[in-house]
Amino acid sequence: MNSFAPECTKAKKEYDNCFNNWYSEKFLKGESMENECADLWHEYEDCVKAALAKKGVGKMIDEARKQAPFENGGKLVEEDEKKK
Amino acid sequence: MKFFDSRHYFNYSWEQVSIANWKKYPNEVSTHVIAVDVLRREVDPKSGVLRTERLITCKQSIPKWLLALVGGQEVSYVREVSEVDPKARTVVMRSTNMTMNNLLLVFETCTYSPDPENPATKTVFDQEAQITAFASWKRICNKIEDWTVERFGQNAIKGKAGFEGVLQKVANSDVFARESVSLS
Repeated sequence: MNSFAPECTKAKKEYDNCFNNWYSEKFLKGESMENECADLWHEYEDCVKAALAKKGVGKMIDEARKQAPFENGGKLVEEDEKKK
Repeated sequence: MKFFDSRHYFNYSWEQVSIANWKKYPNEVSTHVIAVDVLRREVDPKSGVLRTERLITCKQSIPKWLLALVGGQEVSYVREVSEVDPKARTVVMRSTNMTMNNLLLVFETCTYSPDPENPATKTVFDQEAQITAFASWKRICNKIEDWTVERFGQNAIKGKAGFEGVLQKVANSDVFARESVSLS
């Protein structure tokens, strides 16, 4: 699958291949907790970060993160407060 | 606010479904999804859960009357956070739209888990969405919500149909397929 930024698609596909292998061959089998594709990941991540800033998407992601934090598994903050 | 929910069974093991889930796009049916990016990915050292944040880029055909109301944005962005628990054998994905969310907010939760009756060979897919429109007239809100529920249902069918094709490819090439064949 392509990246939203065409200049990142090559790095993305290389990272995806590595991740998909690790996921099926190791992670699901309980053989590895470490994501082993770090080098490819950093290359792809740098590219995406630059593209997010350039296309002005970063701000909306920051907003979404406030409403549904990553650390919280993407659950809405209000949803959690209702349960308390 | 309106709700959409659906349940579907896939005739594949949870492992196969969870592998194919990362390869779901592109598929020939879900052509509205034009890009998928990973923004953040971590394994929680305590729980062993893999958490992933993705940016999903869509190009959707929108009705003219709605486009006029919205201002004609062609590309829309969805943010998704997913959690894979390999011990419990669950995938939970939570997503929300980041564009046009001043007008319409969709919050979707999808879960893949083993079918309790056939945990080795079948997987349950549960999809829930809450849809809220913010336009000031009640009737327009209802219309937007109805249209969205309808579109949601159409895309949900497309999503499943497209995913079946991906599952088949994965099943043909994957170690879990070979293992389950040799077990049966």
